[in-house]
Amino acid sequence: MTGPILEIDTLVKRFGSRTILDGLTMSVHPGEVVCFVGPSGTGKSTLLRCVNGLEDIQGGEIRFEGEKVEARSKRIVAVRKRIGMIFQQFNLYPHLTALENVVLAPVVVHGEARKEVEARARVLFEKVRLSHRIDAYPAQMSGGEQQRVAIARSLAANPHLLMFDEPTSALDPETVGDVLAVMRDLALEGRTMLVVTHEIRFAADVGTRMVFMDQGRIVEDRPPRDMLADPSTERAKRFLSSIQG
Amino acid sequence: MNQSWVAFLPLFVKAAGITIWLSWLALMIGAFGGTLIALMRTSRFLPLRLVALLYTEFFRSIPILIVLFFAYFGVPLVLGIDLPPFAAATCALALHASSTMSEVVRAGIESVGKGQWEAAHASGMRYPAIMRYVVGPQAIRVILPPSVGVYVATLKESSLASIIGYIELTKTGLLVRESTGGGFAPLLVLAVIYFLINYAISLGGAALERRFDVGQKFLTVGAGQ
Amino acid sequence: MQYTFALRTIYPYLGTLWQAALVTLYLSLLGIAISLVIGAGVAVMRRSRSMPVRFLGAAYVEVMRNTPLLVILYIVYFALPQTGLRLSSFTAALIGLSLNSAGYMAEILRAGLIAIPHGQREAAASQGMSGLQAFRYIVFPQVIRIVYAPLGNQFIAVILASSLASVIAVEDVASWMQTIGSTSFRFFETFVVAAGVYLVLCQSVNLGRIAIGRALFKHLRSAR
Repeated sequence: MTGPILEIDTLVKRFGSRTILDGLTMSVHPGEVVCFVGPSGTGKSTLLRCVNGLEDIQGGEIRFEGEKVEARSKRIVAVRKRIGMIFQQFNLYPHLTALENVVLAPVVVHGEARKEVEARARVLFEKVRLSHRIDAYPAQMSGGEQQRVAIARSLAANPHLLMFDEPTSALDPETVGDVLAVMRDLALEGRTMLVVTHEIRFAADVGTRMVFMDQGRIVEDRPPRDMLADPSTERAKRFLSSIQG
Repeated sequence: MNQSWVAFLPLFVKAAGITIWLSWLALMIGAFGGTLIALMRTSRFLPLRLVALLYTEFFRSIPILIVLFFAYFGVPLVLGIDLPPFAAATCALALHASSTMSEVVRAGIESVGKGQWEAAHASGMRYPAIMRYVVGPQAIRVILPPSVGVYVATLKESSLASIIGYIELTKTGLLVRESTGGGFAPLLVLAVIYFLINYAISLGGAALERRFDVGQKFLTVGAGQ
Repeated sequence: MQYTFALRTIYPYLGTLWQAALVTLYLSLLGIAISLVIGAGVAVMRRSRSMPVRFLGAAYVEVMRNTPLLVILYIVYFALPQTGLRLSSFTAALIGLSLNSAGYMAEILRAGLIAIPHGQREAAASQGMSGLQAFRYIVFPQVIRIVYAPLGNQFIAVILASSLASVIAVEDVASWMQTIGSTSFRFFETFVVAAGVYLVLCQSVNLGRIAIGRALFKHLRSAR
């Protein structure tokens, strides 16, 4: 068995006097699909942001493929190049077409030839089922379409890890399915994924691990089916029953 | 530094009063004229709209200074009427203010949703009544805050009156400078007084904007947009 | 007194008008360029992490926006020479005009920078872009779209404001109108011609802006 791709060791993150992540430890191996669930404000999104070096950390350590992740260091760029991040609000670049959104970073950050990237991008658009929207601008697309472009954008750099920060929370209900379907495909390809989500059914079907977080700590970390069938803690039980209605 | 300008401070204060009055008068005339132009701009009749558009674009595209020159030097030649500096300055400032105000008022009128017009028409009201009782009161909230900005602009522009010899704040500063030996201080005092007046007005305007912003949201709910 | 409008009465002065128009044009263009640069600097200052720097930027903007250009011109023209600096009228006018306009430019640019959602910079960072790359490819193109219209208005404001240079002996179009008007007593004609020059300059900026804007930002309505 290969070593972990991501190691998080007693991670502490504070905003002022508020502790968001409170000595969190976990590791992720290649091919795992880890779904983070739990009440909002418990640090799930912050955890992803720390892994990507978008937030300073106040204690502990994050190692990605053996390399230390530090928000303010120069080497953070090298780490980010190998991690794809998908945001709740898509954060597509509104002044660029869907295709240009995907092509930009590989060309300007990775220095690849535009022609090759475009060819690869077209394949990615097929994968996210948006070949017909390639020249549309973000404002002309539905939320679900925008989020699938964002997924294609993150895939363009051939990342070793994909992180989804509540990818369907800002979507109209009817477009959620399209995005989840694309994510399911990616999981089936064997990609390593961290997914913060409230879509419990998706987490149960696609996830290899389900991590229940509360107040900056991991409360439970088990295969999803086990956790859903029989949450071992009262907090997880209450949350899961509330969310499943 | 020459200290003697201090003796002229009361004069500066009096001159500041003149500047405030001159620009206020110009703003009021400009607001009245601007409202008429705005009503023309939003009218259903193309010729009226066109005339209003030309008027606004014309005065937005020429410097106040040349209007002022024309009013002061040209009008006596052309019409045979001698305009005293005060009248010439008021005219030039008011003409310019009216073109700016017309845009402000237009934005105000257009901010009132179509539904309001339809509802008012449906209840049998006609244009003057709709403007007076329905659209006007709603538009005024959008119009007032930027009007404060127009006042500040007019107040600064009123300094041009000094060029044709009208003794307002700027001219007073220049005269004091001359009679105190051409020092730096009177000009600085001038700048400080203008700044204080305008900054105070701007702060008032910002407060007004905050107050109306709340009403604004309330109003949008009412308009159903 | 009977006054007949007759443009031909000022034909002899059209040569000097051309000179004057060039002065107005140069003064405006240089003023626009310089104030844009200073304004960008001040806008950056206003977003600095350091409180004193932010305050300085804000103070600059407030002072420039609340003081008449005419007073600023007098200060530059009369006061700077007292410090031993010799300035031509044109240079003094350019300095005053640029300093004044920079206050407005700074606010326009700042508004543009503020309008870009933080998520845009984060997305760029998460893709491995450096701060400079994010600015160049993500922030700047969006800021341009936002500030485009207000910048055009400010360009026009600079052209109009440049007329005040005539007060400190710069021989521009406003000065031409004054001088020729008072020597020929044809103030109506000189007014019409001078107004025409400013009208053409301002409306070129206005129409040019609309045309270029249409071409550049065709189907770009801001999303988020």
